Amino acid sequence: MMTLELILQGLVMGVFYAMMGIGLTLIFGILKVVYFAHGESFMVGAYTYALIAALLGLPLPIALASAVVVGALLAVIVERLLIRPLYEKFGDWQQMRDEYAIIVTFGLSLFLINAANQFLGPYPYHGPALTDIARFQFGDIIIGGHRLVAGLLGLLILGGALWFIQRSFWGKQIRAVAQNRFGASIAGIDTRRVSALVFMLSGGLAALSGALLVPLFHAQPDVGMVPALKSFVIVVLGGMGSPIGAIIGGLILGVLESFGAFYVSYAYRDTFAFVILIAVLLLRPQGLFGERAREV
Amino acid sequence: MSLLRFENVHKAFGGLKALDGVSISLEAGCMTGLIGPNGSGKTTLLNVLSGNLAPDQGDVIFDGRSIVGLQPSAIARRGVGRMFQITRLFRRLSTLDNLVTSGCAFGLSFHDALDRAERLIEELELTAVHDEDGGNLSGGQQKLLEFGSVFMGAPKIAVLDEPFAAIHPHMREVMVRFIRERHAEGHGFLIVSHDLPVVLGLTDDLIAMNAGQVVARGDADTVLHDPLVIEAYLGETAVS
Amino acid sequence: MNASHLRTRREFLVSLVFLAAVAAVPLFVTSGYLLGIVIVAMYYALLAIAWNLLAGYTGQFSLAPTAFAMIGAYGTGMASYHFGLPPAVGVPIAILVSAVIGMGLGRIVVPLRGPYLALTTIAFAEIVRHVARNAHEYTRGDFGMSVPLISSDRVMAFYLMLALLVAVQVGLYFLLRSHAGLYLQAIRDDETAAAGRGINVIFWKTVAFTVSGAICGFAGAMYVHFSGLASPDIGHIFETGLVLASVVIGGIGTMIGPLVGGFIVQFAAEGFREFGLRHMLVFAAMVILFVRFFRQGLWGLVKNAWDRLFGQGAARPARQVKEAGE
Ligand SMILES: Nc1ncnc2c1ncn2[C@@H]1O[C@H](COP(=O)(O)OP(=O)(O)OP(=O)(O)O)[C@@H](O)[C@H]1O
Ligand SMILES: [Mg+2]
Repeated sequence: MMTLELILQGLVMGVFYAMMGIGLTLIFGILKVVYFAHGESFMVGAYTYALIAALLGLPLPIALASAVVVGALLAVIVERLLIRPLYEKFGDWQQMRDEYAIIVTFGLSLFLINAANQFLGPYPYHGPALTDIARFQFGDIIIGGHRLVAGLLGLLILGGALWFIQRSFWGKQIRAVAQNRFGASIAGIDTRRVSALVFMLSGGLAALSGALLVPLFHAQPDVGMVPALKSFVIVVLGGMGSPIGAIIGGLILGVLESFGAFYVSYAYRDTFAFVILIAVLLLRPQGLFGERAREV
Repeated sequence: MSLLRFENVHKAFGGLKALDGVSISLEAGCMTGLIGPNGSGKTTLLNVLSGNLAPDQGDVIFDGRSIVGLQPSAIARRGVGRMFQITRLFRRLSTLDNLVTSGCAFGLSFHDALDRAERLIEELELTAVHDEDGGNLSGGQQKLLEFGSVFMGAPKIAVLDEPFAAIHPHMREVMVRFIRERHAEGHGFLIVSHDLPVVLGLTDDLIAMNAGQVVARGDADTVLHDPLVIEAYLGETAVS
Repeated sequence: MNASHLRTRREFLVSLVFLAAVAAVPLFVTSGYLLGIVIVAMYYALLAIAWNLLAGYTGQFSLAPTAFAMIGAYGTGMASYHFGLPPAVGVPIAILVSAVIGMGLGRIVVPLRGPYLALTTIAFAEIVRHVARNAHEYTRGDFGMSVPLISSDRVMAFYLMLALLVAVQVGLYFLLRSHAGLYLQAIRDDETAAAGRGINVIFWKTVAFTVSGAICGFAGAMYVHFSGLASPDIGHIFETGLVLASVVIGGIGTMIGPLVGGFIVQFAAEGFREFGLRHMLVFAAMVILFVRFFRQGLWGLVKNAWDRLFGQGAARPARQVKEAGE
C-alpha cells in the first residue's frame, strides 16, 4: 500500500511540475532558447494568492484567478521588453541568441527574486488551503486534503491547456510557429501575437501552479527556483518543445522523486532531478519522446 | 589508385533515403562537378565525406584509408577541404584572423600562416576588408573568405558546396580563376553547383545525382543527355 | 600583427595598469576591513576571468563557475579539516581536483550546445551544492568547515591574492596570444566551421573547461583560506549571478572587462549595503540593461568613446550593423 501512496503523492506533485513544464516547453518550442525566469512566475503566483487570500481575505477563487492574471501579465511584459529582440532584428545578438537568452533571463530571474526580497521581505507568507478537510483516506492511502483538491484542479487545468494547444485555432498557430517561424509568418500568422500568447499561457500556468502550492510551501522570494529547475528537467525528459512530453515527464519526475525520497534518501530528494537531467541530456538529448533536431 | 572512393554509402533520415547506395571514385587532382536537383543528396554526401554525418552503411576511403568515424577536424587535416553551402566562417574574427586561424589549424606556423593569409587576401581581392570582422563582410566576400580558408591548408581535394550561388559575377570570376590555378598546382576539386555553365567552363567530368543515387557519371555530353538525368531534372512527365 | 592579437595586447596592457593601481592600494589603505573588500573583489575578478574564458572566448555558456570555486574551497577545506594539511598542500590539491573535474565535465558536455549546455552545467552546479549541504560526515553540511587563515596579516593575504590574479591574467594573455586563442574564438563563432578547418573541437573545448575549472578552484581555495570558512553558500546561484554580472558589465570576450567588472560588482555591493538596498537587485537590473542595450559592456563603451574622440575611427561613419540572414 505504501507503493500506491507514493505513486499518488508523486502524481500530484507531477501535476504541478507539468503545469510549470508545459509553459517552458512551449517557450522553447517557439524560440528554441531556455527561459530561466519561469520560476519567478511561480513565485509571483504564490505571493499573489497568499496576499489576496490571507491579507485581503477575498474568496479563494478570486485569489487563484488574480494569481493567474498577474503571472500572465508579468510574462507578457517580459516578452515585450526582453524577449522580442530574439526574433526581431537585433544586430549581432541574432547570432548569439542562446547567449542573450541565457544571460537576460537569468538576470531577470535574479532581479525578480531580489525585488520580492526588497519589497516583501524574506519572510514566508502563508496561503490558506482550498479545503478545510485535513486529509482524505482511501483504504490505506492517506493524502492531504489541499493536496488532493489542488491536484485535481491542476489536472483539470492541464487538460484544458492541452486541449487549447492541440485543438484550438490559437494552439495550431503556436505549433505552426514552433515548426517554422519563417514559414508561419509567410502564411500570415502574426508571430508576435503568438509569442505573447505563449508567454501569457506559460506565465499564467506557472503562477497558478505557485498559487496552488502556496499552502504547502509558503511564498518566499526564491520559492520558484527549485520548481523552475525541475521544470527544466521534465522539459528535457519529455523532449524540448513537446507539451504532451512535458506532462508525461512531469508525472514521471513526480513519481520518481517520491520513491527516491522514501527509498533512497530524503535529504537528496531534490538532487535526483538533476542527475536525471544530466543523464537524459547526455544519453538521449532529444528527450524520451522527442525527435532529434537537424543541423549542418 | 583513386584518391577518394565512396563505396555503397547509405544514409537515411527517418524514412527518407537521402543517400541510397552511392559509389563514386575520384582521382587525385580531379576536377569534377556534382549536379542534381534540390534534395538529391549532394550536401548529405559531402557531410558524410567531411565527417559531419555518419553513414548508415558503406565506406568512404580517402588516401587509402577509411575515414568513416573520424572527427571532422581529423578528416580536414588529412586533406579534405570543405566549403559549406550555408557560408560558415568566424564572424567575430577579422578577415585576416579567419585565414590565420585556419592556417594554424592546418599545421602552418604562425608566421607562415600570416604570410599566406596576406597573399590570399590580395589574390581574392579582399584587401578592402582586411581588418573587418568576418560577420561584417558582404555575402560574396564571405564566400570568398571561406573559400580562401580552405586553401590555407593543402587540401588534396577541395569540396565546394554551391560556391557560386548568389555572388557577384566579378567575384565569381576571381574564384574561378583561383580554382583553375590551384587545380593546375595539383589540388583536386569536387564542385557542387546548380550553375551549369560555370561548372562546364571548369570541367568536363560530371556526376549527376537524383533521389540519393548516382544516375550518371562521365563527360558533359553523355551526362547531360542521359535519359535518367533529363528525367531527374524535368520530372517523370517528360519521359512518359 | 593581426587584429585579434592587437586587441588582446591592448586589453592586457590596460589590465596591467589596473593591476598596478590595485597593488598600490595597501600603501594608502590600512584598514583591514577595506583590504578585505578588495580581496573579495579579486576573488570575483578571478571567477569572472575564468568564466569569460569559457563564455566570452569559447562560447560555452556554462553556469557552473561557482561550483568549481566550491570544489576548490572544499578540496582544501577537507584536506585541512580532516587531515590537518596546511594550505600549501591543500591549495594545490584543490587546483588539481577542480581541473580534473573541469576536464571531465568539459569532455562530457562537448556535444551539447546553447540551452542544453546551460541546463547541464546548472544541474551539475546544483548537484555539487546539494552534496556539500547533505554529506554531513565529510562537509559538515550547512555549517561549513572552518579553515585556517592563509596569513593572519591582511596585507600579506592581499598580496597573495593579487599574485594569483596577476599570474592568471598573464597566463591567460599568453594562452590567448598563442594559436589557442584563435582556436577558442573560432569554436565560439562556429563550431562546425572550426572543425572543418582542422581545429580539434573536442580537445580545445575540454582545455577551456579544464583551465577555467582550475582557475575557479584556485580562487575558491584561496578565498576560504582568507575568509576562514568553506560553506555551501560559495556555490549559491546568486554567486553565479554576480560572476555573470561582473563579466557582462565589464565587457564579455575581453581581457579587461571581467577584471574590472569583478571589482565594480564587489565595491558596489558594499556601497549599496549602506543604503539598505539589495545589491543583487541592482546588479540583476544592470545585467539586463547591459545585455539588452550595451552588450559590449563598459569596456566597449570606453573604447567607443575613445575612438570617437581620438581614434582613426573618428572620421569614419559608424559601421552599419549587418542584419543577419538565414
Ligand atoms: N539532417 C537532416 N535531417 C533530416 N533530413 C535531412 C537532413 N539533411 C538532409 N535531409 C534531407 O535529405 C535530402 C537530401 O538533402 P541534401 O541537402 O543532401 O540535398 P542537396 O542535393 O544538397 O539539395 P540542394 O541542391 O537543395 O542543396 C533532402 O530531402 C533533405 O530534406
Ligand atoms: Mg545542398
